[in-house]
Formats: sequence, C-alpha cells, structure tokens
Amino acid sequence: MSTLKHKGKGPQSLTANELREGMNVWLTPEFEWSRDYGDALQTEDVAVMEKMLAKGEADENENLVVGVYFIDVEADTGLPVRYREKFRVKGPSYDTADELGLQKAK
Amino acid sequence: MYRYDEFDHEIVQSRVKQFKAQVERRLDGRLTEAQFRPLRLMNGLYLQLHAYMLRVAVPYGTLSAKQLRQLAMIADKYDRGYGHVTTRQNVQFNWPELTDVPDILQDLADVEMHGFQTSGNCIRNVTSDPYAGATAEEIEDPRPTAELLRQWSTLHPEFAFLPRKFKLAVTASNTDRAVIKAHDIGIEVVKNEAGETGYHIIVGGGLGRTPIIGQTLRAFLPREELLPYLEATLRVYNRYGRRDNKYKARIKILVTETGIEEFTKQVEDEYATLVPLDIAVSPEEVARITSYFADPDFEDLPDHDDAYQAKLITDKDFANWANNNLAEHKAAGYAIVNISLKPIELAPGDITSDQMRAVADLSDTYSFSEIRTTHQQNMVLPHVKKSDLYALYQKLKAVKLHADNIGLISDIICCPGMDFCALATARSIPLSQAIAQRFADPERQRAIGEMQIKISGCINACGHHHVGHIGILGLEKAGVEFYQVKLGGDASENAAVGQVTGPGFSQGELIDGIERLVDYYLGVREDNERFIDSFKRLGMAPFKEALYAA
Repeated sequence: MSTLKHKGKGPQSLTANELREGMNVWLTPEFEWSRDYGDALQTEDVAVMEKMLAKGEADENENLVVGVYFIDVEADTGLPVRYREKFRVKGPSYDTADELGLQKAK
Repeated sequence: MYRYDEFDHEIVQSRVKQFKAQVERRLDGRLTEAQFRPLRLMNGLYLQLHAYMLRVAVPYGTLSAKQLRQLAMIADKYDRGYGHVTTRQNVQFNWPELTDVPDILQDLADVEMHGFQTSGNCIRNVTSDPYAGATAEEIEDPRPTAELLRQWSTLHPEFAFLPRKFKLAVTASNTDRAVIKAHDIGIEVVKNEAGETGYHIIVGGGLGRTPIIGQTLRAFLPREELLPYLEATLRVYNRYGRRDNKYKARIKILVTETGIEEFTKQVEDEYATLVPLDIAVSPEEVARITSYFADPDFEDLPDHDDAYQAKLITDKDFANWANNNLAEHKAAGYAIVNISLKPIELAPGDITSDQMRAVADLSDTYSFSEIRTTHQQNMVLPHVKKSDLYALYQKLKAVKLHADNIGLISDIICCPGMDFCALATARSIPLSQAIAQRFADPERQRAIGEMQIKISGCINACGHHHVGHIGILGLEKAGVEFYQVKLGGDASENAAVGQVTGPGFSQGELIDGIERLVDYYLGVREDNERFIDSFKRLGMAPFKEALYAA
C-alpha cells in the first residue's frame, strides 16, 4: 500500500472514508469523491498526484473525508493491487442484509 | 438483573452528552481525526473496512427483553436490520453513520446500555457463563462478581490507559463456558477446604498472535479481597507491562517473561502496600448487588413433564432440537434453552431485527424476560419451563431460530473477517458457510458429535482459532487467501492451544481436508469418544495425515 506521504509504484488512486457516513470513497478525475471505484482517477503522473494529495489534505481539513491515502493500481486490470483494497472496492462478499433482502446498502 | 443506580445513569447520560458534543466538534473541525479517534473508540465506534462499526457492551452477556427490543430498533432505524453477537458476548452493528451515533448512544442509554469498554487499552467488558443463575453446576451465580468488576473497572482512572487491552471473565462452575484460561485474568468462584467461597485467580492467558493458557496467581482468594488483589495485579501490569511494542504489551507476555513465581511475588508485594479496606466494597454493597440477581419466581414443578416427554416421542425434529440445544436447569421442571445463531446458510452470530424482537417476546413469555448472549455467538433463554418447550420450539421455528446444532460441527465460531474487518487478512464467513454446507446433513452432524471449529480471519484471533478442536486461521499471500489449520485446541476447563498442522490450504482444499479428517475420526473413535478425546489419545500424526491425504 502506498500512503499519503509515500506513493507506491505504478498507477495510483486516492482513497478515503466519508467522515459523516463512513463509506469508502475514491477521488475522481473531476476531483470529487465517489463511492464507486469505477469512477476513480488512476494516474502515474506525479504532477497530478501532487494535486490529488493537495485535494485529499484539503478535504480532510474541510472535514469531508478521513484517512486519505494512495493505493497502488494494477496497470492491466485497473483494480487495486492489494487484496485488502480489492475488498474495499467490492464491498463484503457476504452481508446478512443482502442475503435476506433486509435494508439496502447505503 | 442488575438495574442502574443513580450513578450509573449519570455516568451513561453524561457520556452521551459528551459524545454528542465531540461529534459536533469533529464535524465542524474543532477536533481533528487524531483527537477524535480515541474518543469514538472509548464509545465502541470503530472505522472498519467499509464503514463505521458500533460495538455495544452486553455486560456478562445478560440482556433484558426491553434491551433486545431496543437493539432491534437500532438495527432498523440506523443500520441494516441486523446485529452480530461477538465472541465477547457483545453486539455489533456494521453500518452506522457517525452523525447517527449520538442518537444511538442515547437510545442505548434509555435502556441502560452503552459502548464503554468495548475498545481501547482499558479493562474491557466483563464476560461470564451464559448459564449463570440457571445451572445446577455453579457454586453461586457469578454475575454479582462480574457486576462488581464492571462497576470497579468502569472509568477507573488508574486503568484507563493500560499498556494494552485487558479482558476479565468470571465463572462459578467446573464446566468452563467462558474460556477463562484465555483471559488476561480469569476468575473462578471456588470453595476452599473450610467450605468458604472465594476466587481462583488465573492470570496471563490470551489468544491473539501469541496464544498462552493462563496460570494460577492465587488458588484461593477470600471473597472480600477480590478488588484489592486485582488492583494490585493491574498496578504491576501497568508498571511493568511493555508500552514500546503493542505486540508484546499484553499481560500474558509480562507474566511469561517475568515467570509466574516472580510475577506472583510482585503482585503480593504490591498487595502488601495497599490498604485493602480502601478498595474493597462492604458486605452490604455486595449483598445489594447480589440481590439484583436473585432467582426469579420459579414455580414448584415436578422435574418430569408428561406433555414434553410425549412430544419428544411424536416429533423427531423437536427431539433432536431438545437433545442438542437444552441444558440441565437447577430448578426442577425447567430447562436452559440455547438458541443457535448458526443456521447453515447465514453468518455465525448474526441475528435480524425481527428475530431479536421474537426472542425478546419469547423471553417475556417463557423466560422471565431474560436473554443471554454467549461467547459461542449464540443466545440463551435461561429459565424455560419444560412444559413450555414445545410451544417455544414452534415459535423459534417460525422465525428460523430452531437450528439444532449447538456444540456440533456447524456451530462454528467465526470472526467477521475480511468481509468487514479492517485488520483481517482473509475472509472467514464464506469458509464457515462452506464447512456448514458440507456437513449440512443433521444426521451426519449428530453422528460426528461435539466438535468445535473456530475461524479467525487474521492472527489477532477474534475467532478463537487457537482453542478450536479444529482451528482455522485465514491468511493471504499475493492476493490469494489460504487457511492454516490447528488441531487439538480446547476452550473448556481443560484449555489447550492447538498445534499447527503444516502448510495452508485453499478454501476448497480445506473443506475436503476437514471431511477426510472427520471421516478418519469416525473410523477410529472408541465408543462415543469426542473428536478432541480421539485426538488426545492418538496424537497429531494420523489426523495430519488424513488432513493432507489428497
């Protein structure tokens, strides 16, 4: 995993959690936060990463998101490199609410 | 059940107000996340893999019907319609929003509940025997002692920032249903040769990445010395426990590195410096607390109930459920009812809001409005008349809470794993479901008999895999989950840490391996020997061979 201070190898995306609702989000090319990883900005451009970093820090300071960090992205699949991050993208493979048709995910 | 006194109410209500203000300050930026994080954790609010998670304390696993209904309401109003019973007898919600948590805490406070001591390096929520006050095995009800410990440890200023978290469990039976030897301090109510009641104090047990079975600190501690003696023990831990390395900070490491003899000496030396009467509570206060746990008004009944016995003969499914899920009650004509939260297809320990309300209603009708949660991630109705068992069974069946697998191979302890937990390295829920599916045939489960499979999704061992008859640890390498197996662990009064078998398995390989292992056991067991007893008799080698025989 790369971090806010130390970027990893290859393409990067920026992720965080929403402060209020807690859900996982990724920074989009429009520099907004999306709960859909499919919207995530992926880049190897260091200059863009610097801007992403600045946006992440600014939104943490604005109390919009929490725990901002860069993740490594597989160049061929576009998916996160780390297994844990793949799970953050996909959501739980099992949730009793989904299984039983209880309340919908937010 | 214990009811809050004015101090309890004031503490909990004050905390709700404090946290509400803290959330407001966090949202408007007056508190940074670094400042806020320890405050939310003190109220059981974690930020997990996908969202926030709120852990609600259920002291010694005792719930009232009113409290369970409130948990159901919270599940519906603020979460996704279900809750999860943990291995520390608590209840977790997986999807709360930060902005709702002050209201949730207020709703909890309204029924004398909270999230204190469910996180952080403090004395955690005290656990106990889910059969407390109901089993004839016990010397006395352990819950007054657990409640005393709850009051002593809640917001204790000296122990709010220990080197690491600290877990206590209390039992009063020879049969250990609280895994006391895997706790930082396990407390067993015992009698000495003079017939006096006191405590056997066990220290330095724990699971996690370094599993250790606790050792005796005091074989017999007079009842009135409990709090002063624990205070001395915690002081020694606070002074010498490592703070430089969180992986070596639990008291089990201190006791192991110091040696039990030297550690005991340190505790006794510290104890000698205390003025016990400044810490001990008066017999009157103990009596006051104990009075809240007085027996309910049991009817004077014959132990044999003709109608119940008749149903055992005419309804085979009911008979199977009764055989697996009931335990002996101390009062004639009553039974302890275990409600399995392990239906084959769902996650271990999960219960929907509708099911919570149903259990609450059933407890009102049949069990003096009392419910217990268990470290096995099930529930218990502690006091049910035998004459009511069939009606109860029918109503449990109507809400799909009639699984008859208590203590069997599909009664699996399982942490949330990678599906929810930020610390996990692999999933555990799908594996538990796959094992349960493979052994779904009830006849086969009963033929196998008592079997404890415990699954953890990382080395922190929340799924107690070290003490499973078959313990499974989920790991990940290069994006692929694999599972390491331990055999021969024991969570009972004969507590033992299992031995690692060898290389790990994929999920599919593991299910086949467990089936071979079980088939081997069925072939070699003598009489009705349990799996764990066959393992102890024959040793690791033949079981390992069966496991890896593909």
